[in-house]
Amino acid sequence: MSEVTKIKRRDFLKISGITGTGLILGFGLSARAGENVLTQFEPNAFLKIGADNSIVIFAKNPEIGQGVKTSLPMIIAEELEVDWNKIQVVQAGLDGRLGGQFAGGSTGIKNNWQALRTAGATGRSMLVTAAAVKWQISESECYAEQGKVKNKRNNKQFTYGELVDDASKLDVPESPGLKDPKDFKIIGTPKKGVDNHKIVTGTAEFGIDARKEGMLVAVILKCPVYGGKVTSFDDTETRKVEGVRHVVKIDARAPGQRVAGVAVVADNTWAAIKGRKALKVTWEHGEGVTESSAGINEQFNTYMSQKGSIDLRNDGDVDSAFNQSDKVLEATYEVPFLSHVPMEPMNYCADVKENECTVWGPTQVPGYVQRLAEVITGIARENITVNMTRVGGGFGRRLMGDYAADAVTISHELKLPVQVVWTREDDIQHDYFRPAGMYKLKAALDDKNKLVAWHLNASTTSRYLYRGSKDSPHTTEVFPDGFPAGFVSNFRMEYTPVKTLVPTGAWRAPGHNATAFIDQSFIDEMAHLAKKDPVDFRLEILGEEDKEMPYSDHGGPTYSTKRLKHVINVAAEKSNWYKKESGVYKGFAAHFMFGAYVAEVVTLALDSNDQPRIENVLAVVDCGIVVNKSGAESQIEGGIVDGLGAAMFGEVTIAEGMAQQDNFDTYKMIRMKDAPKIDIHIVDSQESPEGLGEMSLPMISAAYANAIFAATGKRIRKLPVKLSEVSS
Amino acid sequence: MAQFSLNINQHNYKVDVNLDTPLLWVLRDMLGLKGTKFGCGKALCGACTVHLDGNAIRSCSFPVSAVKGKVVTIEGLSENGDHPLQQAWEEIDVPQCGYCQAGQIMSAAALLQRKPKPSEKDIDMAMSGNICRCGTYLRIKKAILAAAEKGGAK
Ligand code: FES
Ligand code: FES
Repeated sequence: MSEVTKIKRRDFLKISGITGTGLILGFGLSARAGENVLTQFEPNAFLKIGADNSIVIFAKNPEIGQGVKTSLPMIIAEELEVDWNKIQVVQAGLDGRLGGQFAGGSTGIKNNWQALRTAGATGRSMLVTAAAVKWQISESECYAEQGKVKNKRNNKQFTYGELVDDASKLDVPESPGLKDPKDFKIIGTPKKGVDNHKIVTGTAEFGIDARKEGMLVAVILKCPVYGGKVTSFDDTETRKVEGVRHVVKIDARAPGQRVAGVAVVADNTWAAIKGRKALKVTWEHGEGVTESSAGINEQFNTYMSQKGSIDLRNDGDVDSAFNQSDKVLEATYEVPFLSHVPMEPMNYCADVKENECTVWGPTQVPGYVQRLAEVITGIARENITVNMTRVGGGFGRRLMGDYAADAVTISHELKLPVQVVWTREDDIQHDYFRPAGMYKLKAALDDKNKLVAWHLNASTTSRYLYRGSKDSPHTTEVFPDGFPAGFVSNFRMEYTPVKTLVPTGAWRAPGHNATAFIDQSFIDEMAHLAKKDPVDFRLEILGEEDKEMPYSDHGGPTYSTKRLKHVINVAAEKSNWYKKESGVYKGFAAHFMFGAYVAEVVTLALDSNDQPRIENVLAVVDCGIVVNKSGAESQIEGGIVDGLGAAMFGEVTIAEGMAQQDNFDTYKMIRMKDAPKIDIHIVDSQESPEGLGEMSLPMISAAYANAIFAATGKRIRKLPVKLSEVSS
Repeated sequence: MAQFSLNINQHNYKVDVNLDTPLLWVLRDMLGLKGTKFGCGKALCGACTVHLDGNAIRSCSFPVSAVKGKVVTIEGLSENGDHPLQQAWEEIDVPQCGYCQAGQIMSAAALLQRKPKPSEKDIDMAMSGNICRCGTYLRIKKAILAAAEKGGAK
C-alpha cells in the first residue's frame, strides 16, 4: 500500500496531533520528526510543516508515469519557498479538499497550476506574517527564503519550524501574493522523480504489490467473446487445485462494469491462475461472435462511399472546387485497433465490510472508483476510502473502472479483502482498444498550387457510441477545428460511427493519435502534388499574419498560428531541413493538441542494402511554462518512442468476437533496438503551462511515414508498417 | 505441495509450494519480495528478470523446482541500493511509471557482469527482452553506458 495506508487522512491528522511521534514515524518522517512537535502548521490540505522543520507536501493526483508526483509538489514547494531537497512528498488518497484528482487529458499541471501555487503561497505568506508580528515590523520588511523568514533590518531569521505555532493561529489569507515567475527557483529546473530510489531498489509500491492481512487473490475467467454470458460452469477440477478457496460467478453490477464471468479466488496468484485453467465454463456467446475486423472494414468501406451521418464542418463548396481544379488528389487512410498494454496488468484491491469499504490500486480515476464502489455495495460514499498506489502505466486504460469494480464485487460477495489480478492475456483480450478507423481524404490545388479544397470523410468505431455516451459519437474521433480547417476556403468534414461490441476507449492522445497521422500525411501528399517543400507548404497555408484560430475541442478555445509556425520554423532550422544530403531523407509533421504545439522531424538513412533506418528524431515543443525539465523531456521522449512503436507494430485484429492477439508475442511492442536517438528542443515560454503526457505522440507516425516516402517513394496510408517492410 | 530450499539474496529460505509454481510467484506472494514484477507470464517482457548464478532469467517462466543455484533479485542487487546501475538510473532520472525498471536493471546488471564495457549494440541485444511501454529506452541506454564508465560490473 502507499504511504497513506488504511487510515483516512482526516483521521490521520487527528491522531497524529494527539500521539505525535509514533504515528508520524509510521509514515516515514525522520526519526527526529516528532520529538518536539507541539503544533503542525497546516494551512491547507496540500502541505504541513512541523516545529522540527519537517515539511510534507501531498501529491494529489495518481502517478501513472507522467511525473505528477514530482511536478505538482514542485509547484507548491516553489511558492512555499523551501529547499526541494528537504521536503517529503507523500501520496494523498482521495480527499475532497484537494480538488479533482485524476490523470487524463494531460491536465494535471494545467488544471492545478493556480491552486497549487496558491496553496504554497498561502503557507509562505502566513509564515511571513507570523514572523512580522513576532518582530513587530511590517511584512514588507520580511521575506521568505529556503524554509526561513528573514528580517531585512537586522538579518535575523526564524526557521519555518519556529513559526508554526504562531502561523497556525492566523487566519488563512484569501489571495496570498504569488511569486513573480522570474524569481522561480524550482519551477523550470530538472528534478528527479521523487520515487526513483524506491523504484530502482524494488521497494516502490504499485497496485499489484498491495497486501492486506487475509487477502485472497482472484483471477477471473471472462467470456472470450465480447458481450457473452455464463450459461453454466463446472469447478470440480478447479477446487482440487491446492490454494483455491472460492469459485464465484460474478455479474456486472455497476454501469461500465463489463464482466460476466467466473472468479477463482485463491491464497496466491499462481493457485488462482492454475485454478482458472482447470475451470470449465459454458458460454452464451450472443451476437458478439459475429464481430470481426473484416466486418468492421466492410462497414468502413460502405461509409466511405456515402455521405457521413454527421456533418461536422462545411465551409464554401468543396464539390465545385474539385470540379474547377485539375489538381485533385484522393487517398484513403486506415488505422487499426491498438491495445493499451501498460506494463502493470490490471489489478485492484477491495476490502468491503458491513458499512465501510477500503479500496486501493492503480487507477487514473479514484473518484470514479469510489462511485462504482458505492453503486456495487450500497455503502455511503463517505465510508469508502480510496487509497492510491503508484500506477504502472495508464495510457487511458485506467480511465475505465471495470477491473476495480470486479474487485469490489468479489470482496462484497465474499466479505474478504480481495485482490483481482489480470494476466496479460486478460489485459489484451479485455482491453478498451484505440478505435479503428478509415479516412477518405480529397483535396485540390488552384492554378498557383495553393490548397483550395479539403474534404475528409471519416468513420471509426466510436468509443462514445460504444459506451452509450450522450455526447456525439464523433467526440475525440475527429476534430473539426484542427489544421488545416479554417485556412482552406472550401472545407468539409463528415463522419459516420461504426457500432460494434468491440470495446473501445481513450488511448494516449485520443483521436489525435489517428488524425495527426492522416492530416499530416495528406498535407505532405498535397505538398508533393504542388511541387512545394512540405514545410513551406504548411507555412504558406498558415499565412504570414498571426492569428488565434477558434478551436472548440479540448485545448481550446483557440490556438495560435504564431506558436505553431514557431515550432515548425525551429524544427526546420534545427533539423537542417532545407539542406539536402544524399542518402538522408526527412519527414515532417506538426500538430496542435491539448494546448501544446509540437513539430517533429524523422531522419532516415539507407544502409548498404537500401534498407532504411531511423537516424534520429527531432522534436520542438511549446507547452508554455515547463515545471520539471527532466520530467518534460522524459514525457516527450516517451511519447515519441511509444507513438513510433504503435506506428511500426501496434495492431489488434478481431475474429469471431475475440481479439486475435493476447500477449507480446502476437501484440508486438517497440524494443530498445528500434528506439531512435531523439533531440528535444523546448521553446522557452512564459505562456500558461500545459501538460505533456500525450502531445509528442500523435504526429510521430506522420513524420515517420513522410520520411519513408522521402526515402522510398512509397506512401504509407495504413498502419502499422515496419521499416523492414519498406525498401527503396 | 513440497518443501523446497532456496537461496535468495544470500538468505536461505524454506518454502512449501507446488513445484510447478514459477519462481516469480514464490518471490512475490510467498516471500514478500515484490520488487520483481509480473508483466506477461511468458518470458516476453522481462519485467520479472532476476539472476540465477549471475545469469538473467525470466522468473515468470522458471518453475521453482528448477532453481538450483543462487538467486538475486532487485532487492539484493546491492546492499545499500547503490549498485552503479541503480545510481545511474537515479541520476539520469530513467523511470517514468517505473514498473519495468527492476527487470531492466537486472538485465543490465547481468550484461555488465558478462561484459563490463558493452557497446551500444551489445546493450541493444542484451536489453531486447525487456519492454518499457513508457518508452524510457534511451535513458536506460544512457544509464548503462554511464554505469559501465564507472566500472559498473561491481
Ligand atoms: S513477466 Fe516474465 S518475462 Fe514478462
Ligand atoms: S517506466 Fe513504465 S514501463 Fe518502463
